[in-house]
Amino acid sequence: MTNSIMPDETRQPAATSTPTRSAAAEPAAPTTEEMLLHLPLASVKDLTVSYGNGPVVLDGVDLDLYPGEMVALLGSSGSGKSTLMKSLTGFAPIDSGSVRAVGCDMRNLRRGQLREVRASVGQVFQNFNLVGRLSVLTNVLTGALHQAGPINLLGGFTSADRKRALELLERVGIAHKAKDEARSLSGGQQQRVAIARALMQRPKLILADEPVASLDPKMAHSVLELLHSIAREDGIPVLVSLHVLPLALQHSDRIVGLRHGRVLVSAPTDQLAAEDLADIYASDEEESDVDA
Amino acid sequence: MRESTTKGPVLNPALDPRDRLRMERAFVLPRARFLLGLPIAAAVLLWSFVGAEFDFAKLGEGAVNMGGFLGQMFPPTWDKLGTIVTLLIETLQMAIVGTVLGTVLSLIVAFGASSNIAPKWLYYPTRWLMNIIRSLPDLVFALMFVSAVGLGPFAGILAMTIGSIGSIGKIFAEAMEAVDRGPVTAMQAVGASKRQTVQYGILPQSSPMLVSYTLLLFEGNVRGATILGMVGAGGIGLELTTAMRMYDYGHLSAIVICIIVLVTVIDQASAVIRRKIT
Repeated sequence: MTNSIMPDETRQPAATSTPTRSAAAEPAAPTTEEMLLHLPLASVKDLTVSYGNGPVVLDGVDLDLYPGEMVALLGSSGSGKSTLMKSLTGFAPIDSGSVRAVGCDMRNLRRGQLREVRASVGQVFQNFNLVGRLSVLTNVLTGALHQAGPINLLGGFTSADRKRALELLERVGIAHKAKDEARSLSGGQQQRVAIARALMQRPKLILADEPVASLDPKMAHSVLELLHSIAREDGIPVLVSLHVLPLALQHSDRIVGLRHGRVLVSAPTDQLAAEDLADIYASDEEESDVDA
Repeated sequence: MRESTTKGPVLNPALDPRDRLRMERAFVLPRARFLLGLPIAAAVLLWSFVGAEFDFAKLGEGAVNMGGFLGQMFPPTWDKLGTIVTLLIETLQMAIVGTVLGTVLSLIVAFGASSNIAPKWLYYPTRWLMNIIRSLPDLVFALMFVSAVGLGPFAGILAMTIGSIGSIGKIFAEAMEAVDRGPVTAMQAVGASKRQTVQYGILPQSSPMLVSYTLLLFEGNVRGATILGMVGAGGIGLELTTAMRMYDYGHLSAIVICIIVLVTVIDQASAVIRRKIT
């Protein structure tokens, strides 16, 4: 039997600062802001997903994402990480269970509603998915396409959008490359541009699917630190799928481990050690040996 | 080694020993389908040679006559250079207008013929339409438009425009279908509309190919305009045909040299533009 560390129901969001008060004092009523911090911005309950008549990819998965936390999603290839992320943006079919993202039930959304949800969820991809021939600035501006006005019919963006895009490029440390074609940038730089594009959406939630898989270790730390700082400073929950345990332990507030489409581990990172996560990547033979 | 009894993906499946043995051989015998396909291909080629009455001996005998014909073309006579230049300019103008109109129409049709843009109900009829247009030679369109709008370059332009939809429209559609899916996914992920996805995800990626094929279309239209002229659709073609009928080989030679110069200049200019955009 594998060890499972299951979710702590009484968890506090990472960004929540609990005010200190004397034991004798009356408990103060929580403010609206404090209450919002305790509401998940994305909530997956007992989710089961399969593609057509294929095998079950996700089987009874639960996951809540709270403001200000960075959650690392671990699991070997085929464990269902990408599908779980896709379910939060309506790119995966939902067989049973429920998925709520940024306040919307993801089942039975009309096309327009789905576009609105997607516009509220920033996504960062493993291969960056930038348009190589467009400038860095234009790539960032595409994050504002969902709310671009009539000026966009002529291929333009408003001055306010352009100003914000440049500010975001400054934030991710790459403003000096704004005029360059995206394809001329290094992998780490391109991923920073992709993060700026996601921020341009003014997202309520960020999903990063293996964002450092094609980066060197130094760049990987740098990109994850950037994502973590966004979660902390902007209060945007970030769900990031990773394969490298030390990176997950160093750059996340909570770790969720998937194995064969089921949640095997879900706990705050500071309560976990590398050995607690070993089962996530154990081979089937090893598991069989343990069971025997 | 103990066999795993648990279910789940096989992480390190073994290579079929027969495949391994085959891959390790220094010399690999061709597969049966290749050995079978080769004589079939050769038979089809031979059948086509016979059917088309291709005859090397006849070509050898005719080489003497060809030499005589080419000999009559020299020296070229340049006394009608002004007429040639005027008609070449008209040919160029026809090609420019035909290419621009053809490109715009082809691009519009290509949106409907791209499987990653158009819905199925639009995709298939558009593809069929392009197939029908492509199966008709430009000369047929030229004759049709000459009878509709009369002799002159306007008929030629219309023929080139419609003809290009079948050829370049298909290539445009395939260039748009071949773009990297990643940026398109990213556009959908930011909540972009279909039009925005095409504008920012598909067109920037396919633009080098679109421009390159447009230049190819232009080069083709310059050459094509000379042929269309033969059926009265304007340009240098009519002058070329007249010179041949009148056995005015010196003038014919001057026309051909001018066409070669024009096509070469356009080809070189296109090459420079292609280098810049790719």
